[in-house]
Amino acid sequence: MAFQPEPVQEPASMLAPEKQAMKARKMWVDSLLRIMKSKTSFIGLLIIALLLITALFAPLIASHDPAAQSIVDRYQPPSGKHILGTDELGRDIFSRIVYGTRISIQIGLIAVGISLIIGVLLGGIAGYFGRWIDQVIMRIIDIMMAFPSILLAIALVAVLGPSLRNAMIAVGIVGIPQFARIVRGAVLSVKETEYIEAARAIGAKDGRILGQHVLPNCLAPIIVQATLSIGTAILDAAGLSFLGLGAQPPSPEWGAMLSDGRAALQTAPWVITFPGIAIFLVVLGFNLFGDGLRDALDPRLKQ
Amino acid sequence: MKKKTGLLLLAIFCSLLFVVAACSNDTGSKKDSGKNTEAEGSGSSGEKTLVFGRGADSIQLDPSKVTDGESLNVTIQIYDTLVKYNPEDTEVQPSLATEWNVSDDGKKWTFKLRDDVKFHDGTDFTAEDVVYNFERWQTGAEFIYYGYMFGATEDNLKGIVDKVEATGDYEVTFTLSEPNAPFLNTVAMSAFGIASPEAIEKYGEDYSKHPVGTGPFVFEEWVPDDQITLKKNEDYFGEVAKLDKVVFKTIPDNGARFMELQSGTIDVMNGLNPQDIQTVEGDDNLQIIRRPSMNVAYMAMNTDKEGPMADKKVRQAINMAVDKEQLITLFEGVGKAAKNPIPPSLWGYNDDVEDYKYDPDKAKALLAEAGYADGFDVSLYIFSNPRDYMPQPKVTAQAIQEMLKKVNINVKIVESDWDTHLEATENGKHDMAFLGWTGDNGDPDNFLYVLLDKDNAKMGSAGNIAFYKSDELHDLLKQAQVEMDQEKRSDLYKKAQELVHEDAPWLPIAHTTPPLAANKKVKNYQPHPTGGEAFNLVDIQ
Repeated sequence: MAFQPEPVQEPASMLAPEKQAMKARKMWVDSLLRIMKSKTSFIGLLIIALLLITALFAPLIASHDPAAQSIVDRYQPPSGKHILGTDELGRDIFSRIVYGTRISIQIGLIAVGISLIIGVLLGGIAGYFGRWIDQVIMRIIDIMMAFPSILLAIALVAVLGPSLRNAMIAVGIVGIPQFARIVRGAVLSVKETEYIEAARAIGAKDGRILGQHVLPNCLAPIIVQATLSIGTAILDAAGLSFLGLGAQPPSPEWGAMLSDGRAALQTAPWVITFPGIAIFLVVLGFNLFGDGLRDALDPRLKQ
Repeated sequence: MKKKTGLLLLAIFCSLLFVVAACSNDTGSKKDSGKNTEAEGSGSSGEKTLVFGRGADSIQLDPSKVTDGESLNVTIQIYDTLVKYNPEDTEVQPSLATEWNVSDDGKKWTFKLRDDVKFHDGTDFTAEDVVYNFERWQTGAEFIYYGYMFGATEDNLKGIVDKVEATGDYEVTFTLSEPNAPFLNTVAMSAFGIASPEAIEKYGEDYSKHPVGTGPFVFEEWVPDDQITLKKNEDYFGEVAKLDKVVFKTIPDNGARFMELQSGTIDVMNGLNPQDIQTVEGDDNLQIIRRPSMNVAYMAMNTDKEGPMADKKVRQAINMAVDKEQLITLFEGVGKAAKNPIPPSLWGYNDDVEDYKYDPDKAKALLAEAGYADGFDVSLYIFSNPRDYMPQPKVTAQAIQEMLKKVNINVKIVESDWDTHLEATENGKHDMAFLGWTGDNGDPDNFLYVLLDKDNAKMGSAGNIAFYKSDELHDLLKQAQVEMDQEKRSDLYKKAQELVHEDAPWLPIAHTTPPLAANKKVKNYQPHPTGGEAFNLVDIQ
């Protein structure tokens, strides 16, 4: 409505976001404290921290070169020399798992990054503009959701060609609908609020409103979804690698380790047990933390 | 797109399999025995059914359309050939033909046939049927083995088999355009099984799903990707089968198949993981049956591709950079290191050829000489399912990858399922590729000519996936084909092996004695070196 923004209004509108930011910061601190109080999410946080440290200091932690083979030493059970035993080519399983954390984190972050960026963009646009744009985008998302996720990922990798990079892209694409739906829902409720109307009233452009006012207020559900998605992404990518569609040899990716070791399932069970436990722990860690985060950020649970 | 759907299906199938394997073991066998007593009212102890577990389904049941073991192992039960091999070696003995002779110039072969044979559809077997089958094989280029064995091409569909005539009701005469020493052994190959002309006419395009032969078992049912059921041919002219039924069951995963054997839902399995041999030997209910070795596993280097692989020095260097002794330990005792393309069990094997010694330094020097001091990147195409000659392709590939890394060669492993692998390598997409061969007829020609002659280096249907084209070798192999004296042929083949060793189109890897695992109640299972055997002598007690 305001065709000529008055100078007086300028400092006022500058103040509001600052105050908001302070409030937000307090909200984050509150939430973090609440997470720490919950035992399960604290365990999740601990596992994630451990994972990050392992990935960061992999060369220091690993006892052997993860790719070094010693065929005569294959299928050694856990011992002092190889604390988790050796695999079918005499490689140290512990060192491979340690280096594998790097790959898993990479997969988790990049795949979820892809889903997040595209998903938030699509969901934001659909929710904010509504009408036919919303219809088109959400029907496409519906179609994507109609496929079982791992099947869609397999199909995508089959088209792109098997490699770790393509597996990350595939898992990322598969995760888009989750984000798009959540963001759309959040945007729908936020865009009806008074401060958005106010922003529109002072003549802010759609892009600015969406980017500066709507999306920051949808952050909480996005963060929760991202955390939970990392676990799923790692699991899906491990599944693809297990089928030979993800990480290629000699990469110490956990899913690939499972796949390579399954021939000796009965005679050398440690070859698949430990990578399996590693996958389990990491996915558990992200899920616990994600759940805790959801509880903490949910304003309805605020006391 | 073929590969993609294949992979997809495989993935879905595997997951389904786990579910099925988990919940249907007991009910499955119960249902079977129930059905058996119903069907066979007269049998006091019920039917004898042998369930054979294997890694892949048959592709077709028309032996003239396939080259894969999983198809031929079934068709050998249904069809007979003019002559057949001894149960334990590749010595030829009578089958549909009772006697035979060859003219002095080696060009005319006459076979006297049995007069008491009937096809499964009730029609009589006569010389005209043999002629019909050969003429059918000569009209299309789909019979790959025919091309391999008789040199047939698109332009010359007959190859060296000029004329096939019925010279009597029960006598057939072959006229060859040139002498062919392996001829008798070749017509004993299960791929040359004689089919019922009436059935071929009746089913037309669908014939490969309704196979009709004269063999010890009659085709009953085929559920694709699940199982093929055969029943005993009561009127078989040879030794009538002791089993009432044979079921070929497809269970892709070696481990899952082994678990089914342990639980007793299948009686025999191929493709045993080498690691599981000990488990079998320690199990009172199970036995290991070792197939005599007549195969070779190798890594072919695509000499046709521009770049390092075209250079003999590079190929020799690769041979030196691989520590075969280490590599062979990955075969867990079922394989011996190979240095020649033909197995030592075959006549004509040249034991004087000295294998390239493992010497990474010398390999590096050779690579430097060839201009590749800094190394290079190559692809290594491998198949995902284990084969008899290579029980662990991926592990073997990773070991080679690591060994070649030490001489600065960067190997990228490209893994695909069997069909896709064959298609890719036959079309020369690879730099290097794993493959192997199980001898079909006990003749060195079947290895050297099929796998290394320039005649078989045709894009799209190559048996020679190194695309190695040597005129010198071709002359030797051609001479050996027309020479009828085995002594002289043997010398020619020995020379051929020296030549192949020098040019190094392959890294020969191993000759294996592939283990089968079976329940102890399975008796008289005599595995044949060619990789397939008729089950009429097998019994269950």
